[in-house]
Amino acid sequence: MSYAASAIVQHAWVIPALPLLSFLAVGLLVRPFSTRWAGGVAAASVALSAALSWWLAFDYLQFASPPGPLPTLLPWQTEWLRFQEGLRIDAGTLLDPASVLLVVVVTTVSALVHLYSLAYMDGEAGYGRYFAILNLFTFSMLGLVLAPNLVQMFVCWELVGASSFFLIGFWFDRPAAVAASKKAFVVTRFADLGFLVAILLLGHAAFDVRQQLGAAAGDLQALDFAFLGRSDVLAALASQAPVLGGMTALTLGCLLLFMGGAGKSAMFPLHIWLPDAMEGPTPVSALIHAATMVVAGVYLVARALPLFAAADGALTVVLLVGTFTALFAAAIACTQDDLKRVLAFSTLSQLGYMMLALGTCDGGDPTGHSAALFHLFTHAFFKALLFLGAGAVLHAAHTGDVWHLGGLRKPMPLTHALFLLATLAIAGIWPLSGFFSKDEILAAALHGGHPLVFTVGLGVAGLTAFYMARVYLLTFWGQPRREATAHAHEAPLTMVLPMGALAVLAAVAGFVPVSRWVALPGAAVHTGIDWAVAVPTTVVALVGFAAAGWLYAGDLGRSEAAAARLGRLYRALRHKFWIDEVYLWVTRKLIFRLVAAPIAWFDRMVVDGSMHGVGVLTRLAGAGVQAAQTGQAQAYAAWALTGVALVVGLLWAAARAG
Amino acid sequence: MAELLHAGGSGLHAWLLVTSALFSLGIYGLLTRRNAVGILLSLELCLNAAAVQFAVFNALRAPGRVDGAVMALFVVAVAAAEVVVGMALFVLLYSQRRTVDVTELTGDGRDSAGGPP
Amino acid sequence: MSAETLRSALFWVFATLSLSLAWSVVGNRRLLRAAVALMGVLGCSAAFYALLGFGFLAGIQILVYVGGIVVLLVFLVMLTRTQALLEDEPTPWRHKVGVVAAVGFFVVNLWALASLPDAAVQGPVLGGDTRAIGRALLDAGPQGYVLPFEAVSVLLLAALVGGIAVARKVDVAALPPAEANHG
Repeated sequence: MSYAASAIVQHAWVIPALPLLSFLAVGLLVRPFSTRWAGGVAAASVALSAALSWWLAFDYLQFASPPGPLPTLLPWQTEWLRFQEGLRIDAGTLLDPASVLLVVVVTTVSALVHLYSLAYMDGEAGYGRYFAILNLFTFSMLGLVLAPNLVQMFVCWELVGASSFFLIGFWFDRPAAVAASKKAFVVTRFADLGFLVAILLLGHAAFDVRQQLGAAAGDLQALDFAFLGRSDVLAALASQAPVLGGMTALTLGCLLLFMGGAGKSAMFPLHIWLPDAMEGPTPVSALIHAATMVVAGVYLVARALPLFAAADGALTVVLLVGTFTALFAAAIACTQDDLKRVLAFSTLSQLGYMMLALGTCDGGDPTGHSAALFHLFTHAFFKALLFLGAGAVLHAAHTGDVWHLGGLRKPMPLTHALFLLATLAIAGIWPLSGFFSKDEILAAALHGGHPLVFTVGLGVAGLTAFYMARVYLLTFWGQPRREATAHAHEAPLTMVLPMGALAVLAAVAGFVPVSRWVALPGAAVHTGIDWAVAVPTTVVALVGFAAAGWLYAGDLGRSEAAAARLGRLYRALRHKFWIDEVYLWVTRKLIFRLVAAPIAWFDRMVVDGSMHGVGVLTRLAGAGVQAAQTGQAQAYAAWALTGVALVVGLLWAAARAG
Repeated sequence: MAELLHAGGSGLHAWLLVTSALFSLGIYGLLTRRNAVGILLSLELCLNAAAVQFAVFNALRAPGRVDGAVMALFVVAVAAAEVVVGMALFVLLYSQRRTVDVTELTGDGRDSAGGPP
Repeated sequence: MSAETLRSALFWVFATLSLSLAWSVVGNRRLLRAAVALMGVLGCSAAFYALLGFGFLAGIQILVYVGGIVVLLVFLVMLTRTQALLEDEPTPWRHKVGVVAAVGFFVVNLWALASLPDAAVQGPVLGGDTRAIGRALLDAGPQGYVLPFEAVSVLLLAALVGGIAVARKVDVAALPPAEANHG
């Protein structure tokens, strides 16, 4: 048996095509007639897509020859743009362990979120629009994941950004949602500029290499991942002359690629858009801003890891940024009041973990790569579950402020149980999925020669347990602190079912040997539990739980006292280190005043001025002849008669002369 | 006296003098009347002058033929059609605006007094 | 007094009468009087036709023009009477424009027509044109007028229908809903 016999491997393009077709059908044909059908069609198409992707994963693993690593396949590819010989851009479906993994995650979470949204968004004015864009997002994300080259990835990258923009601003009558969507778009777009420049830079450098290689390059194009991953190409790229500041095009390109990835994955200091993105509907937060789109940056770095490894110092930057973001976001998450905002900062922190894991490959040991993808896989399930749980709470209590919630375990037993499971999973409690993936990251840091990073990661694990226990306790235990909370009710079945499915996945995902599948050549494969990591992480998680329990389970006065004792640090955390204010200062005071204002002046005075001059001239000319246009029929008759007299006179004079 | 009358009297030039004067008076009314019906009256004057002119040329330049007379007949028919349509228009105008003053018929009519309620 | 002299005398009498009545048509401040004066002008024109030897035309002029069209105009004057327009007196500016246009047209017209050689009425006076006009109107040959005749008949029909359509009072609000859709 081989891959040629597998229909789904050969036709993997169907998986992204289904949501695209559904997007077109729902957006153009179904939505105007029936919103009810819009949701059904959208959910059914993505569910079918999910089923196909599970089939794809099954066939992909089943037909692999057992001893060697899993193969990289390109079953379908078509020419898209041809510039010249050796510079062609294709569209295709690249199947390798990472992309198959992501396809399964994206379609599964997307299908469950679609199902959940059927009930959650019921009765909303933009029901059909919501599902159409959710479909568009699913298509774009799948296109991104399956991209065989940087350009297809970039196009889909922008498409997911646009879908995210539409969905954050779904309630466009709320000023906060509009502001948040604009913020997300502008910040990620700014980062994407780095991505785009990186493509140009790397494309230019790689094209030179390709010309040197000549026939050895084969049919591979300069921007194909397969080409950029070849060792001879990487060696040639690394030995190129520096282009700027002593950096080669490779290093500079990788740093710019990471800028794009950091924007999408909300790494510090480009993280500011993600907490605000929670203004969108909660299922969107679960799908886009927790499970799938925000991991695109991680996926990009993982996909381009050979480049990063060859580039001088690029992975160290990734490591530092990832580690710092993990700690920074986890600390802020401990002080936020809004349930979804805590989860958003938690997402930041977990993405930091993944970047950290990728950064540990800077020693040449690609174990961290497997750990990052493994954590990506498990995180998608438990974080989506946490968000859907938060959505159920919001749906029932109409508020996300933990100080208004409380005591919800009685009216919402199912949601409570599922949320607890996800909390334990993210905190890394055995045998739930977070335990395995987080430990692998920390093990990679420890054994990759980064003891300091390991220590910070350990601290973050403790903080994770603390802030998750905090929101869990404040939400589900104690007494309802507001009238509306007391009248909360359990979520409907269509919302509980997807949560249950995610809970099952979040519980067992740790036992899936993902890290063995996605392992790059040379990566260490862990088979059992690494006690040197598991014991400390479990201990700090339990310490985090205990601290949260002491502060928030009984007398809430203790938490206030603790906050007062922390003083300045607490205020800084609560205000998220004033990063937003710094951004505002930089944009308003520096960019607007020093750059935008002179340009605006030039635009108004010189560009507009010349145009206005033309307009004024025209208007004056018009005013000159306006007097003739009185609207009086008799005035026109007088003019007509004058004309008649003139013509008769002329004719007569001509007759006389002739 | 008889000779004078005959010689300078009903010759072509005398006829043309009269019809031209009639037509010019019509033009004067056409341009000065404020009442739309008055304009219509002046127009009838012009039409009639033209019809007579046709008959004059017929009788004086092509005696024995009736082409000019037929044209005069057509002018009468056209005048009848014109009055019918004009009358319908002005009655409608009057019922909508309570006036047939053409000097008030500028613009789109929404800003003039006496428009439809 | 020969027939020529009589004809000439009659011409001048009617010309004077016609011009003075025409002056009244355009100059009289009361529109009803202007309409009556128009009736007189058209009557004088009937006399002109008779003087030119077109008895049939003269009869038509009286019957159709004076008896039909002008009566219609008189009705129109009465139907559209408003207090504000009872006195239709041109402003000095309008008067000046009117005079300039009328005199200008008159001068140019005469100037152009002055080059024509003079001629006088010949042949029989009154009678004899009815048969000829009837033949000309219904003649389908190269000298005939059957096509314009038919065209004018269509024009009259169209004017009739158009007049009814325009003047018909359509009050949409008062119509029953089903009919309002068709109207």
